[in-house]
Amino acid sequence: MDPSTSRPAIVIDNGTGYTKMGFAGNVEPCFILPTVVAVNESFVNQPRASSTKGSNWLAQHSAGVMADLDFCIGEEALARSKSNSTFNLSYPINHGQVDNWDAMERYWQQCIFNYLRCDPEDHYFLLTESPLTTPESREYTGEIMFETFNVPGLYIAVQPVLALAAGYTTSKCEMTGVVVDVGDGATHVVPVADGYVIGSSIKSIPIAGKDVTHFVQQLMRERAEHVPPEDSFEVARKVKEMYCYTCSDIVKEFNKHDKEPAKYIKQWRGTKPKTGAPYSCDIGYERFLGPEIFFSPEIYSNDFTTPLPEVIDKCIQSAPIDTRRALYKNIVLSGGSTMFKDFSRRLQRDLKKIVDARVQASDVRLGGELKAQPVEVNVVSHPIQRYAVWFGGSVLASTPEFFPACHTKAEYEEYGASICRTNPVFKGMY
Amino acid sequence: MILLQSPCRYLLQVLSTRVQNLDKGVELDCQCVEFDDVRYHIQGTVKNPNILLLSVSLPTPPPETVFLGGLPPGAIDAIKAAYGAVLQILDPPRDGFNLTVKLNLSKLPPDEEHKQALLIKIASIREVVQGAPLRAVLKQLISRGPKSDLNKLVSLAHRPNESFFVVPQAEKVTLIFPMQFKDSIDTVLATSFLQEFVEARRTAGLSSAPPCLWSPSPPQELIGASDEALSANAGFVSFVIFPRHVDGRKLDRTVWSLSTFHAYVSYHVKCSEGFMHTRMRRRVESLIEALDRAKPESEKAKKTAQSRSFKRLSIKDGRGSSMNSR
Repeated sequence: MDPSTSRPAIVIDNGTGYTKMGFAGNVEPCFILPTVVAVNESFVNQPRASSTKGSNWLAQHSAGVMADLDFCIGEEALARSKSNSTFNLSYPINHGQVDNWDAMERYWQQCIFNYLRCDPEDHYFLLTESPLTTPESREYTGEIMFETFNVPGLYIAVQPVLALAAGYTTSKCEMTGVVVDVGDGATHVVPVADGYVIGSSIKSIPIAGKDVTHFVQQLMRERAEHVPPEDSFEVARKVKEMYCYTCSDIVKEFNKHDKEPAKYIKQWRGTKPKTGAPYSCDIGYERFLGPEIFFSPEIYSNDFTTPLPEVIDKCIQSAPIDTRRALYKNIVLSGGSTMFKDFSRRLQRDLKKIVDARVQASDVRLGGELKAQPVEVNVVSHPIQRYAVWFGGSVLASTPEFFPACHTKAEYEEYGASICRTNPVFKGMY
Repeated sequence: MILLQSPCRYLLQVLSTRVQNLDKGVELDCQCVEFDDVRYHIQGTVKNPNILLLSVSLPTPPPETVFLGGLPPGAIDAIKAAYGAVLQILDPPRDGFNLTVKLNLSKLPPDEEHKQALLIKIASIREVVQGAPLRAVLKQLISRGPKSDLNKLVSLAHRPNESFFVVPQAEKVTLIFPMQFKDSIDTVLATSFLQEFVEARRTAGLSSAPPCLWSPSPPQELIGASDEALSANAGFVSFVIFPRHVDGRKLDRTVWSLSTFHAYVSYHVKCSEGFMHTRMRRRVESLIEALDRAKPESEKAKKTAQSRSFKRLSIKDGRGSSMNSR
């Protein structure tokens, strides 16, 4: 038997904002790092003029080789680029799609060797991708994994399917549902039936975690809070993560804030990055206005004005008719930007309103002869939402059915990268 | 990152978060596997947040290596000397592991600096356990006392079913690493990497580093070693360690670097493969650019004018074109 199947598989969930990685079978990912690489690019663009002299060329060559190894990822990268101007930050993933494969390869390399410190030849790998990823990019992923890292086996799973699988242990496994995945860079509403993604019904909206941050930043700027401009995005992100919540009614919430400012307005303290002088600012309405952009997007942008509950409803209505009830019954949240307090309750209430209105309209139309059965709407939220995708991956990769479902190195060598285009749904997923 | 660090990052993170949140003790049960098949399993309970159970499993040693009670010789003494009261060895270890220790976090030193240093030391438990026999040999080199076992080939396990060899001599210690790789491309890259590595040793700046040699055939010191060890596909690397390389604080680093030499080479082989891909990609991009420049003007203009990449065919068009093709 292949000894690598006796070791836990490695699960890496690369998101636009954060990457979650760890070993299958654990409850939590080992590391959650920002998906960013700081590369020392001072050698790339150097003129080749001096290449005629042998020794000089050699020195430059070896300096270039050293620069190849001189990069770092995650929080280290953010810190390094702040203190040192020769490092450039590059974000390998944009809107859920990998667009810089060089940076991505380096990112994986550091994940494997510096953070998890494992030998990639010893472990099966489970990677994730957004539902809209092209088969070509899956092929490319496979190529890097098999060629560079020599992994013995690889499975590329779709993120929403894993998010559904995260509910696997809590109750019986339910692989039909709608996954509302609100990440940092992309928001998808994905219906899944028996482990298969209903591709034609996927809805994406251009509002995600980053937009909440931008909106909070904009609100604070408009109120002229004394935040140093170079720091304002980071402050807004922290404010979003620490203080934002979902309210049930904006008007009521405004009143509440005005009546009892002492209770609702928070203080933010920080130090200016340049001078080191301390400053403080107030955090007021943006606490509930930030997450509100999912429910009333018109306050943030003019181009997109459909609220999230309506998008979910449209998505389910476009799915095959026999799956709709089951889909309404199991709406699963995933991604860091669904972590706002009461987000699930607000979503459930708004969605229920839309559905009930439709049921009522049909009852009226039928004139009371036939009564439609009420539709059960259920938004599921659990504490591990932030890395639900990773957790689902960890659960699935620790089942014995996982290993035969993987593409192996031998298959790759026999058939080429095209085998990575499809990844079978395996038992345990339904 | 050029050298592999000795503390296990994950273990260190688990320990530090545990120490910081001692009052809200949570259930803890996680495992991780490091390179060369070293596994860790760490457990903690809500009831007794100060106690953590850490189990370590080492790679299975090849038959010629001496293992006492599932551990390399001298490991138990090394653990006791390194950690003192914080840690207690449980006998027998948990099923499937070579060593189980009980960590008592209430016995950590109170001041932050020492505490952090000790946590790092605990996270490098692998270095202490696996490196114990090598450390003993190197220590003998600096001690002035009578030396035993001179010129005798000692084999020490560093990977599953693979070992490296140590020959202690009066004034120096020779280490020989048979380099074995699974993948054929890795083997080729590793061979040339090692040749470069030996070459780099000869540059002026490194004259005080340990002399090293690479040879495709087993050196004569290995006479008497098993056939498996002699069949290494990427050659043999030998280092000669003199007392000046192991005095004082250098000892720890030397032991770590030597006992993970194979992992170091394999890490750099993987890195070079990655960088080759980077360069290949850059080259392809520049070639595509050159091709784009060579395109006639009319074709370029067409592309920009029509932003849509697919042209919808009406039924008439479709028929027309199929007629034409005939």
